[in-house]
Amino acid sequence: MQLRKRIMNYKLRIKKENEEIVIPVVWIGKEKEINYDISLDGVGSSLIFLMLLLGEKEGKVKININVNHQAKETKSKVIIKGVINDSASVDFEGLVKIEKGSKGANAWLSANLLLLSKTAKGRAMPALEILENDIKAGHATTVGKVNDQELFYLMSRGLSKTKARDLIIQGFLSGFLNDFPDGKIKTEALNKLKYENI
Amino acid sequence: MKHSLMVKKQTVKNTTYAYGFHKKESSVFKTPKGINQKIVESISDHKNEPSWMTKIRVEAYQIFKNYELPKWGPDLSGIDFSGIHYYNSPSNKKFKNWMDVPKDIKDTYDKIGVPEAEKKFLAGVGAQYDSEVVYHNLKNEWEKLGVIFVDTDTALQKYPELFRQYFGSLVPTADNKFSALNTAVWSGGSFLYVPKNVKVEIPLQAYFRINANAMGQFERTLIIAEEGSYVHYIEGCSAPIYTGDSLHSAVVEVIVKKGARVRYTTVQNWSNNVYNLVTKRMRVEEEGVGEWVDGNLGSKINMKYPSLILAGKGARGELLSLAYAGRGQHQDAGGKAIHLAPYTTSTITSKSVSVGGGRSSYRGMVKIANGAKGVKSFVRCDALLLDELSRSDTYPVNIVEEQDVTLGHEASVSKIGEQQLFYLMSRGLSETQATSLIVNGFIEPIVKELPLEYAVELNRLINLSMENAIA
Repeated sequence: MQLRKRIMNYKLRIKKENEEIVIPVVWIGKEKEINYDISLDGVGSSLIFLMLLLGEKEGKVKININVNHQAKETKSKVIIKGVINDSASVDFEGLVKIEKGSKGANAWLSANLLLLSKTAKGRAMPALEILENDIKAGHATTVGKVNDQELFYLMSRGLSKTKARDLIIQGFLSGFLNDFPDGKIKTEALNKLKYENI
Repeated sequence: MKHSLMVKKQTVKNTTYAYGFHKKESSVFKTPKGINQKIVESISDHKNEPSWMTKIRVEAYQIFKNYELPKWGPDLSGIDFSGIHYYNSPSNKKFKNWMDVPKDIKDTYDKIGVPEAEKKFLAGVGAQYDSEVVYHNLKNEWEKLGVIFVDTDTALQKYPELFRQYFGSLVPTADNKFSALNTAVWSGGSFLYVPKNVKVEIPLQAYFRINANAMGQFERTLIIAEEGSYVHYIEGCSAPIYTGDSLHSAVVEVIVKKGARVRYTTVQNWSNNVYNLVTKRMRVEEEGVGEWVDGNLGSKINMKYPSLILAGKGARGELLSLAYAGRGQHQDAGGKAIHLAPYTTSTITSKSVSVGGGRSSYRGMVKIANGAKGVKSFVRCDALLLDELSRSDTYPVNIVEEQDVTLGHEASVSKIGEQQLFYLMSRGLSETQATSLIVNGFIEPIVKELPLEYAVELNRLINLSMENAIA
């Protein structure tokens, strides 16, 4: 594998007024490092950043996402969902910064990681830096395993453990995947997840 | 929706700091400005310490000298290490009776209200003036049960085995630059030992006061709660306003044995020229409960992250952190929960208010080690930004190395709700009153955990600074 493929650097400035950008990203273990640097410069511009992480085997990734609100009424929504299996590990750092003067900005940053094995690891650091008061900002992180009660319920209805687990993972991701724009990336992700129908 | 009731551009007047007075300095022994090996040795010599302690101090000084300032967090380059007095002893005696305390020192504490508090609702009081503890008292009934509550220097002389066993066991000298500095020049602080199954039902208190100009205060506190015991320790701090900056760098180690419970409450109200850089750590063993209630109101730069090391099965930790940053203040507060054992739980609640150009940051960490099954941890940070000049940051780190865990983290940043403000003002409150009311409501979950007298004091302080902030 070529080295340059293993580090992904991406810089973007959303300059136009009211421009809406949706960035879908799926990681299936290829890259070692993913860096996104996005700045919202246009008044009323908005960003939806969706990232799906499917970690297995020895896959390790370092993710760095910077979102910078530089103009009024800018909106950003960064959602990271990860399903981590085997000895894979995810190291996520996100920083949403709202500069002074970006009145009416609205930012949301969340990371939800599902650990499927005893050796899976996750590190999440979603940071906020707010220099303006007329804004809304929030972030949330959850890390956990497949809920035992849900698993038990499904298995008591006759599903095998694997099947039940897959179904719960699908549930964990379904709303999120619906937001993904159609295309190659989504198809690839669905195949990887063995989705039958959605 | 914008209407004229919105909090307008806020100008900040000089905050009225109630504890800003100072007494004329009269010291018995004071080291010259700056720090070197000789000064470290002379402190140890003055205290008549055993040679192993002197050795620890000198080693710590070498580490301090070689460490750089932390590269993260607030800017500490303004600290002039050579312009600080590292040791200043106001009196060479310690008193057990309030009437014997020298008059000018007594006056200071009378103004702050320490003796009143002791009479009314405390099991014991320690009072530290600059480097030395001048007064320490524990009510007889607790002394009879074997509770030890003395200043840390006395503990070194009277209980050397106990002291040596736990000193530096949670915060090693080389942990960070300021823990090394504290170990080199430490003086005073409280030493608290609660024997097995003894429950000290009323709180113990220590009051720290910096009086001299350009002074460094480096107290060292050690709390050991034996199996099944309970104790609540409260500390308060204040200092006069000088033009020169002061440095307060404490180290606190709390050992919570099996089934014990310790609550450690801090109401930090240093004047706005104090750098407050404190390392606090608590180790909680099986089924024990460790609680930090950490109120940060004062100081110029505050860096304080009380930690919970949950080392025994089923240990529980709770941290309530409150930061209030006014003009010229940077409150970098938060906390850590490190889960090393199965079925441990932790809750971290942080509330911060930034006003008049102040900056408050939450910096926290939750780490769950591999093998720590069934861990539950929840972190919630809320920030309130009162005006356009202020700033709020959140820097959480979550590290999970175990599958069978539940970890949640939530944060929100907001300004005062215009609707809430409008509602209160339509009922006849002024903008200041309405804002104070909303801020008091916002921090209520933390204030309600404080003893009544402190809660009242806190509300009063916030109302006072609010009046100054919103002209």
